[in-house]
Amino acid sequence: MTRVLRALLGLLAPLLALVAAFVITSLVLISAGDPVGEVWSEILQVPETRNVANIVNQACVLYLSGLAVAVAFRMNLFNIGVDGQYRIAAFVGAVVAGEAWLPGYLNTALAIVCAMAVGALWAGIAGVLRATRGVSEVISTIMLNFISTSVVAYLLREAAVREEGSNTIGTKEIPEGSRIGPIPLAAADSGPTAEIYGFVVLAVLAGVAYWFVMSRTRFGFDLRATGQSTTAAVASGINVRRMTIITMMLSGAVAGLVGLPILFGEAYSYGSTFQSGLGFAGIAIALLGRNNPVGIALAALLFAFLEEQSNPLQILVGVSPEIVAITQGVIVLTVVISYEVVRRFLTRREQSRVAKAERPADPAGPADPAPTQDQEARA
Amino acid sequence: MTETSSTAPGDPSTPLAVRLRGIGKRFPGVIANDDVNIDVRRGTIHAVVGENGAGKSTLMKILYGVQPPDSGTIEIGGSQVKLSSPADAIKAGVGMVFQHFMLADNLTVLENVVLGAEKQHGIGRKARAEVRRISDAYGLGVDPDALVEDLGVGARQRVEILKVLFRGARTIILDEPTAVLVPQEVDELFGNLRELKKEGLAVLFISHKLDEVLSVADEITVIRRGTTVRTVVPADVTSRQLAELMVGSELPSPGISEKATSTRVQLAVTGLTLHDAAGRALLDDVTFEIRRGEILGIAGVEGNGQAELVEAVMGMRPGATGSIVLTDQDLAPMSTLRRREAGIGYIPEDRHRHGLLLDSPLWENRVLGHQSRPPSASGRLIKRGAARADTQRIIDAYDVRTPGTDVPARALSGGNQQKLIVGREMSGDPILLIAAHPTRGVDVGAQAAIWNHIREARADGLSVLLISADLDELIGLSDRIEVVLRGRLVGEFDPSDVTPEQLGSAMTGAGSAA
Repeated sequence: MTRVLRALLGLLAPLLALVAAFVITSLVLISAGDPVGEVWSEILQVPETRNVANIVNQACVLYLSGLAVAVAFRMNLFNIGVDGQYRIAAFVGAVVAGEAWLPGYLNTALAIVCAMAVGALWAGIAGVLRATRGVSEVISTIMLNFISTSVVAYLLREAAVREEGSNTIGTKEIPEGSRIGPIPLAAADSGPTAEIYGFVVLAVLAGVAYWFVMSRTRFGFDLRATGQSTTAAVASGINVRRMTIITMMLSGAVAGLVGLPILFGEAYSYGSTFQSGLGFAGIAIALLGRNNPVGIALAALLFAFLEEQSNPLQILVGVSPEIVAITQGVIVLTVVISYEVVRRFLTRREQSRVAKAERPADPAGPADPAPTQDQEARA
Repeated sequence: MTETSSTAPGDPSTPLAVRLRGIGKRFPGVIANDDVNIDVRRGTIHAVVGENGAGKSTLMKILYGVQPPDSGTIEIGGSQVKLSSPADAIKAGVGMVFQHFMLADNLTVLENVVLGAEKQHGIGRKARAEVRRISDAYGLGVDPDALVEDLGVGARQRVEILKVLFRGARTIILDEPTAVLVPQEVDELFGNLRELKKEGLAVLFISHKLDEVLSVADEITVIRRGTTVRTVVPADVTSRQLAELMVGSELPSPGISEKATSTRVQLAVTGLTLHDAAGRALLDDVTFEIRRGEILGIAGVEGNGQAELVEAVMGMRPGATGSIVLTDQDLAPMSTLRRREAGIGYIPEDRHRHGLLLDSPLWENRVLGHQSRPPSASGRLIKRGAARADTQRIIDAYDVRTPGTDVPARALSGGNQQKLIVGREMSGDPILLIAAHPTRGVDVGAQAAIWNHIREARADGLSVLLISADLDELIGLSDRIEVVLRGRLVGEFDPSDVTPEQLGSAMTGAGSAA
């Protein structure tokens, strides 16, 4: 009963946030004199197969970013540095894969491992600083973002190959045998077929692994316990410093995956035009998804949906697609509020249930406990 | 100050300072106050007694304007008032001294007193003169230019009282003022309170220590389960009758059955020393032994090294030197987790900070501190089913009142949270139990149950290191008592022939250590 109610309320909170975001975005549109109805009908129409593929692909990338942030969130660490971590990791992954020291998929696996390791090390810097010197990971990861951007820009010049007749530079292309092939998406109505990243499978596996580690293993328990109360964690024998470093590294390792779907499924090299800003979206998505693996997936799909559907707004109704950034922002703000409202409601409900259990229906009875204990105590 | 000492306590003709009628306050699922009626006369000390959770604190918060009542009326000095903030209460002449002092250590007494009341007498010479005048008038003996960090606990409390008087309070609420004091300081406080009432002020004294209440109060109102049970005059009741009014049934006592102590030493601590960052000794060459089936009580004024001793034995204090041997194992190089695995159970002093994950369900709290051991874990995996089942076992065996194992720990009352912790720490058959204030803030029923569980485990050979601020608990439960003062063990007492006063002397360093 309680669990059902809990689940229902868990769904109600983001729904409330969506409604609020819808209202506020509409108000913004009205005050700017834009056609509210047309904007929404454009955004909310059923996407075509081609758009569905784009949504899934973008969601896959956002999902990994959200997971990376969520790992740290679970321990009350704010990894603002997923952005820097995924870019330096994707760059290293691209170099390794481009060099093709190993054949075929072995090369792919090596590149993925290297990318994760680099992401882990980069985030680990913030973890070590936090554990040994008490430096806030918020500050250090933001700083590391800037450093990462510069380091990648510098190294890209060293490692880059310039294509004939192009201004863009990039790493060596990944050989065809090491690319991750697409999954064809069957068209619903005999329209043109579309393809989604093969990496989506790996993203799903990452979600399953996240769920298992967090809720079924001792490591996950220690991590969550530390996130809830450092003092209780210390008293129960958890080495908080070690957990801080390991968790940041784990978060960074997942962040290392963020750029890889694009790298292995579409771009095949890391260049100056590689997609950026994915790390910051991950923060919003982890918040919206409540650090829950399924919740993060839904949040990632929602964000990707809004972005994809807003693309033609400029052409069709003359409204800047940036309007959905407002929607996304409002969703994140309101969802934090509505989760808190729901949490307080549930706590109050639990307290009254407990109060009932503590005071059985016996208003005239003695002040407290089981009589046997009283008797023993008197002895 | 205009009135003199002629007011007779309990005389119905004495004008009322405070009159509460039908005060009610509900929190979700809990009735904190229900139909509370109290008359406090001017020039009297009026005690409000009741066990923990009876609703005393809520009532005082209502009177001090922190929380509005759901029903009922408050009259102060004969006129009905509506208090929606402490500022309103201060304006109406009601002041409150909280159990935890609210003083800035790095400021002087004068600066602390005028802080937030700068408009009344400025911050300069006039204010200093006013502080002196109040101090002299009520015999508080407070030097306005002393630094608060140099003052002892008793003097700090007097500064708090002075703060309230400076703001013009004619009714003073003291919330468990003696909890932090040793017996000698309590006597001084009572002297101050008598001065206050001689000057015509009304004092509301919240406590659950009955002997103190009987010695200082003019009238006593008993609160049980949120409602006023009776108002009595000390001359008419004994401490036992008062306790029964409070509890509604007979009062349990901690006493132990018979000595179960064997000769085998189970914990040997030798030369345990710990320094703070400034190099001062928090623990200074602490050496003691606890035998199998023995309860060693540590008495001391809070802040003399008890918390550090516990944390050093638990391995939570890096930098502690000395040897700690549990049966045959040297604990010194072990982590906290390894020490727990070696057979230490730990009931922490602050259950919210160290003992529980408040937002996690009870079964996860069962796992806490036992995440490496069956039944809650096997290898690197947490066994949720087994942990739930074992939580249910604790709930049944330790009478934890809860609707289930999935309830978050926060929803439980303090007593039930503590019973859960005791049950958890007793599982896995510990060799040594470290119990820091095991019954602090729990109701009488839970207290009896916890004492009982400790006694039973002791009979089975458990060694217990008991830290408590409750001298009755220490004397009643311990086989032996060591007194700690400034990080050193300064005397050993036999609980069968020691009085709280003797312990109190040793705790302050005043008496001769036996």
